[in-house]
Amino acid sequence: MIELKDVSYTYPHTVQPALHRITLSLEKGRCVMVTGPSGAGKTSLCLAASGVLHHDYGGKKEGSIIVDGRNIADYRTLSDLARNVGVVFDDPEAQMIFTTVEEEILSALEHRGLPPEVIEERLSGIMKTTYLEELKNRSPHNLSGGQKQRVALAATLALGNDILILDEPTSELDEHATRRIAGILKDLKDQGKTILLIEHKFDHFREIVDTLVVMEDGRITSRGSPAEVLNDDHIRGMVLPDFSKVGKNPCTAGPAEPVITVRDLVHCYGNVPALSGINLTLGKGEFVAIVGENGSGKTTLVKHFNRLLSPTSGDVIVNGRNTKDCSIASLARDVGLVFQNPDHMFFADTVREEIAYGVKNLGIENADRVIDAALTDAGLSESASLYPRWLSRGERQRLGIACVVAMQPGVIVLDEPTTGLDGYEAILVISILKKLQEKGHTIVIITHNRDIAGNCADRIITMENGKIISDTGGA
Amino acid sequence: MAEILQYVHKDGFLHRLHPYTKIAFIIVVSIMCIIATDIGFLTFMVLAMLAFAAYGRLLTESLQQLKLILVMSLIFILITIITMPNGDTLGYLIPQGIPFAGGLIPVTDGGLLIGLVLTLRFMILIFAFQLFLISTQPRDLVHAMEKVGLPIDYILMFIIALRFIPTLQIEGQRIHEAQLARGFNPGSGFIGKIRSVAPIVVPLVSNALLRANVLGLTIDMRGYRIGRKTHIRERKFAGRDFVVMGILSVAGCGFIILLLAHLV
Repeated sequence: MIELKDVSYTYPHTVQPALHRITLSLEKGRCVMVTGPSGAGKTSLCLAASGVLHHDYGGKKEGSIIVDGRNIADYRTLSDLARNVGVVFDDPEAQMIFTTVEEEILSALEHRGLPPEVIEERLSGIMKTTYLEELKNRSPHNLSGGQKQRVALAATLALGNDILILDEPTSELDEHATRRIAGILKDLKDQGKTILLIEHKFDHFREIVDTLVVMEDGRITSRGSPAEVLNDDHIRGMVLPDFSKVGKNPCTAGPAEPVITVRDLVHCYGNVPALSGINLTLGKGEFVAIVGENGSGKTTLVKHFNRLLSPTSGDVIVNGRNTKDCSIASLARDVGLVFQNPDHMFFADTVREEIAYGVKNLGIENADRVIDAALTDAGLSESASLYPRWLSRGERQRLGIACVVAMQPGVIVLDEPTTGLDGYEAILVISILKKLQEKGHTIVIITHNRDIAGNCADRIITMENGKIISDTGGA
Repeated sequence: MAEILQYVHKDGFLHRLHPYTKIAFIIVVSIMCIIATDIGFLTFMVLAMLAFAAYGRLLTESLQQLKLILVMSLIFILITIITMPNGDTLGYLIPQGIPFAGGLIPVTDGGLLIGLVLTLRFMILIFAFQLFLISTQPRDLVHAMEKVGLPIDYILMFIIALRFIPTLQIEGQRIHEAQLARGFNPGSGFIGKIRSVAPIVVPLVSNALLRANVLGLTIDMRGYRIGRKTHIRERKFAGRDFVVMGILSVAGCGFIILLLAHLV
């Protein structure tokens, strides 16, 4: 269905090719999964196979791409190509143009020249396959990440194409939502669709993947059936990381001195309760993982640690001070928070200046030494003079950590620090956190990855519906 | 979070009207409020807009931005008082008892009147456009505009500009929180405002540009730019549309008569 022969591509205004002599064929009814480190060219491959690079981007192209028997250059426009190929991009928010779920899917259906009865029938079919029936009148900004992903997928399915290209459709989703997407893709494959999937989470898609392709530095470094490809230890480590190697630090004897104490915390957004009856004590030097599904209140809880949110009732005590009596700026010295999407914070011209921002804000002495140490800790010394947004996803994640580490808070909280990273990058991030723990920092991570929680954290707190339902180290 | 100018899914009277009827409503209301200068008439029109909102079950949504509208109104009145003094002096913004500055900036009845007229017009236009946008599905709007012959690219631009207001609001909030966690403390006053711009606006704009790229590709890949081929669930011109059009015509004629009699 799609045939790439010797495809090389260099983006405009760059020298290094993003794709280097890629040859790949996608046969009808098969599922090919492409994986690899961030910045390896996976998204470029996805754009190449869908014709976007050819029709929309300019740049230097070599080789040939055949879609459904026709060379990609023979299609007049992208819209023309879109009759054969459906693409789901990695940012679901940007793929919603209308204001309700049903409208989004219906509008996509109306462009196919089908009779009205068929449209209605297809609409209800697609809503059923993607489990969106109950959400049909919701607006995009009232949906969770997983729901948005399903809408983006549904609107693409509405086009009725046999070829589907999906770029990291589950990057920000929890276990449950990921399994749901995997289930939908299995059904689609059973219906005979051809799927090109860019993913890190091989484990969830094991059942449907026929061919596993590994990309590194713009090249395909390995391909074949998953069993064959995973025989290689290096690739196995990338696709199925073994977090047990990172290990746990030996527990300190006796109860640690408490750094954060939460008492009877309740938080409501308007009238909607988001947290209720939370009691928790975090000890100095602990490595704590908070797990739970999207919407269970994990992020709401940690935002109380530095007073980004104030309790509706109850108290949060940080290093002996009630957060009610502290400003956010003064708490930034005690608790550092690294958000899920590091791109929400970068605005400086260089990596170094980015780290210096927080250091200057807090008036920390020996700024240069502190910044150098943070760069070294995060493994970014070589990139100090680069523009933060040019870094790969893994490097940006580490820069986010460095920005917070340089502010020397006792407690470092990270919301989903391994999102969108391959196995090696995830292990690198976790190892950095382990080193920080050894230096005496308290680490709190919010994660969907049970492997990380189970293998690396000293204590696992599980949340559900705004409550803590289990705590392996709770007093 | 207050959702500015977003479609609200309900089954109210205004929702059931044809987009053309609502566009006619906006045109008639805009012309009336721009021509009229009588405070009583303009106040009546503001109340009429709120009555329509209540009838269409959209009063709460209409009043969501009330605080902003009132603040803007006050600013309007202040500006006209300062810049257009005219007629009898009613008092002074800075009381006469204060040394040096006392007695500066007179409040004149002419200035106050112009300020009030501008404010009421502003309110009527905001309420009318808001009612139109929150009761019309973007799909219907696209369709109505397509039929009038507007190029699809302009229609999509308009729809997307509205659709992404809440997305940018939420994103701005997240960025603000991320910077607060890094000890961001811009300080107050004018200097503080200037200093707060880069850490919030740079990430907001960079992320929005990235998103615009994906959005553009999505529009192409879904074939939206080739225009709609099948029109389903179209809103038909119904009895209620004729009734509203009739009322608008009567109101328009009545307005012309009042205008000729120098009553508005």
